[in-house]
Amino acid sequence: MSKLEKFYYDNVIVKNFAYATAFWGVIGMTVGLLAALQLVYPIFNLGLAETSYGRIRPLHTNAVIFAFVGNGIFMGVYHSMQRLLKTRLYSDALSKFHFWGWQSIIVAAAITLPLGYTSSHEYAELEWPIDIAIAVVWIAFGVNMFGTILKRRENHLYVAIWFYIATWVTVTVLHVFNNLVIPVHLMKSIPVFAGVQDALVQWWYGHNAVAFFLTTPYLGLMYYYLPKAANRPVYSYRLSIIHFWALIFIYIWAGPHHLLYTSLPDWAQSLGVAFSVMLIAPSWGGMLNGLLTLRGAWDRVRTDPILKFMVVAITAYGMATFEGPMMSIKSVNAISHYTDWTVGHVHVGTLGWNGMLTFSVLYWLLPRIFNTKLYSVKLANTHFWIATLGTLFYVVPLYVAGWTQSLMWKEFTRDGFLQYRNFLETVTQIIPMYGVRALGGAIYLGGVFLMCYNLIKTVKSGNLIENEMAEAPARAVYVPHKGEHWHRWIERRPVLLLMSATIVVLIGGLVEIFPMILIDENVPKIASVKPYTPLELEGRDLYIREGCVGCHSQMIRPFRSETERYGDYSKSGEFIYDRPFLWGSKRTGPDLHRQGGKNPDSWHYYHMIDPQSISTGSIMPPYPWLARNDLDTTYTAAKIKVLQSLGTPYPKNYEKVLYQDLRKQAMEIAKGLEKENIKQENLDKKEIIAIIAYLQRLGTDATPKPQAITPSE
Amino acid sequence: MYKYILQSAGNINWMALFALLSFFAVFMISVIAIFGKRKSFIDRMASLPLEDSYVPHPENEETNEK
Ligand code: HEC
Repeated sequence: MSKLEKFYYDNVIVKNFAYATAFWGVIGMTVGLLAALQLVYPIFNLGLAETSYGRIRPLHTNAVIFAFVGNGIFMGVYHSMQRLLKTRLYSDALSKFHFWGWQSIIVAAAITLPLGYTSSHEYAELEWPIDIAIAVVWIAFGVNMFGTILKRRENHLYVAIWFYIATWVTVTVLHVFNNLVIPVHLMKSIPVFAGVQDALVQWWYGHNAVAFFLTTPYLGLMYYYLPKAANRPVYSYRLSIIHFWALIFIYIWAGPHHLLYTSLPDWAQSLGVAFSVMLIAPSWGGMLNGLLTLRGAWDRVRTDPILKFMVVAITAYGMATFEGPMMSIKSVNAISHYTDWTVGHVHVGTLGWNGMLTFSVLYWLLPRIFNTKLYSVKLANTHFWIATLGTLFYVVPLYVAGWTQSLMWKEFTRDGFLQYRNFLETVTQIIPMYGVRALGGAIYLGGVFLMCYNLIKTVKSGNLIENEMAEAPARAVYVPHKGEHWHRWIERRPVLLLMSATIVVLIGGLVEIFPMILIDENVPKIASVKPYTPLELEGRDLYIREGCVGCHSQMIRPFRSETERYGDYSKSGEFIYDRPFLWGSKRTGPDLHRQGGKNPDSWHYYHMIDPQSISTGSIMPPYPWLARNDLDTTYTAAKIKVLQSLGTPYPKNYEKVLYQDLRKQAMEIAKGLEKENIKQENLDKKEIIAIIAYLQRLGTDATPKPQAITPSE
Repeated sequence: MYKYILQSAGNINWMALFALLSFFAVFMISVIAIFGKRKSFIDRMASLPLEDSYVPHPENEETNEK
């Protein structure tokens, strides 16, 4: 047997990521609380463009997913990987670069999202230069991880590392595919895919961001820190391996369950449903494996807050992964989709699973690397109860709100009319629930502050062991011998494992996504559907900038309750010029796909500036700046050029006349408004004119109006 | 019968079949592979997280060195 080698674990990088996790947790959740309050009292939009709901919501989701959970992943991966592989991380320089690179990306996001720079792809909102930065830092993380794996002293890779590898591979693939765009300028880009195809790629990404950012790395953490905290091995290592392969294979197919009853072709929807339902099996296998690890240790769970957090986290994982497949069943989805039920569902996962597991790891890890004891077990116990209570106060009202609103949307009178014809009635009904939800969020956030206090006290009472000594023999040079099982051969070769995991996730991606992108017949064309005029295009970009998609869908499902309320259901052929697609995922306000012609221009003018003055009790944020700002048309020609290069049929040399078209359409709208006694200087040059043009165009192509303006030849 | 069930879930085509078959393959391979391992190896893997520093496992060493 070879001699023991002495080496040192890097705890500095672990500490840095741990601090960042707690810090961004506080920030991200505070922003979330602000968004929750805005839905109760629109005054919390603060009258500023930068703080209005449509921009704050993506800031919240990005901050909690990529800043809070992201840093939590890196903390746990870098801490556990060194110890599982018995080696220091591959490169201290890469670790540092990774840390500071990731924090700069978060800061860039925190600046650009409120400024309205967004791709409007949910959870991939950041614009292309930041996307490139993400790719660079992510690759640095990958090199550091695989470098560490290659220089390991432990021959075998523990299952947690498998989960880390799958995470890295899949996130790489997803990030690249969902961000295929053509830049217009530094902070604006146009996606390569349009309409249905863009939607499919986005939700393939969106769903797998949940799967491979919020789930697989955290399962890796569970498989490491749960045995650590319980001081006993995982219940069944065999089960963990099956859990791994089944989960990564199935997850990648489930994306289309976000698009049920939409214009996505049936076969894609059915695949999404089938695989989503199958997901229960591996997910529950994982949950049971976690909970059974604690068999015989339940007496300790009663006293140890860390184990308590873990138990609730794993239980929440189980609940969310049971509920998710249920919500993927078409008949359930018909009720749940577009409502706050989805938001409740997500928060069982994030507050319960991600939040609580992160807290437990922080409580477990920081005292250890600081060579001390947790400052107060009592406070941690209090935090546990606060967090559990906060989660309940958050999710229960949202379930009630979701069910209530969905039933109201679908209720008909005995004469066959919609009972709640006015959408706003279904909103005001649930605002009390939104209030309780905000309270739940505040309670949960209070718990996080308590944790920060406890952790700061802990850290102050100890000293960081920057380089922690450990010993292990050098890894034996491997000599293959006959009769060896091939699977162990794979396992010794991380590169092979990496490739198998890649193949497994790509199978789903290729089979499901490519036919949709490549086969034109999947999107039947509609002859009357024409490209947007330059003014409408600019209006659409304002709609994107303001994040209207955070409250308004543009996808009418083929139910009588929807066609009755909104008009004819949406067809895939209507979206072929939509780059990006704006179907949305939540209806805090009504669907807007057939908004065109529903209300007069003057109605929109007043409604955009002050929704409450037109719709009493509305929680839509006011947008007075749209009437103040001049429309920026610097890049209109550049946008049209990019669209042309992607096949949008604007006339040849259109850039020469498009500004005339734009002016003409704007003047007409402004004149119409003036006739309605709306007097404002230079009204025709204001942003609000463009957004009105866009809103009035929406959904009119399939049922064209005679005087619709089309690009001049 | 199965075909009927699948059909009621939407269009049954090569994609759905390929998906299910390939899943079945991945699943079976991982089951067979993991159950083909010795208990001592599984126990050693399961105890990996509990060892921050090296802990000798004489019964497993022979597979790594020759
Ligand atoms: C906080 C969520 C929220 C955001 C963000 C939001 N809206 Fe609304 N919107 C609503 C609600 C709620 C209603 C229904 C009550 C009303 O008429 O104000 C509504 C109604 C509307 C209507 C009237 C629809 C109809 O047929 O009655 C239009 C048009 C509209 N919004 C456009 C926009 C645009 C454009 C943006 C972005 C600049 C936007 N909304 C942002 C919540 C929102």
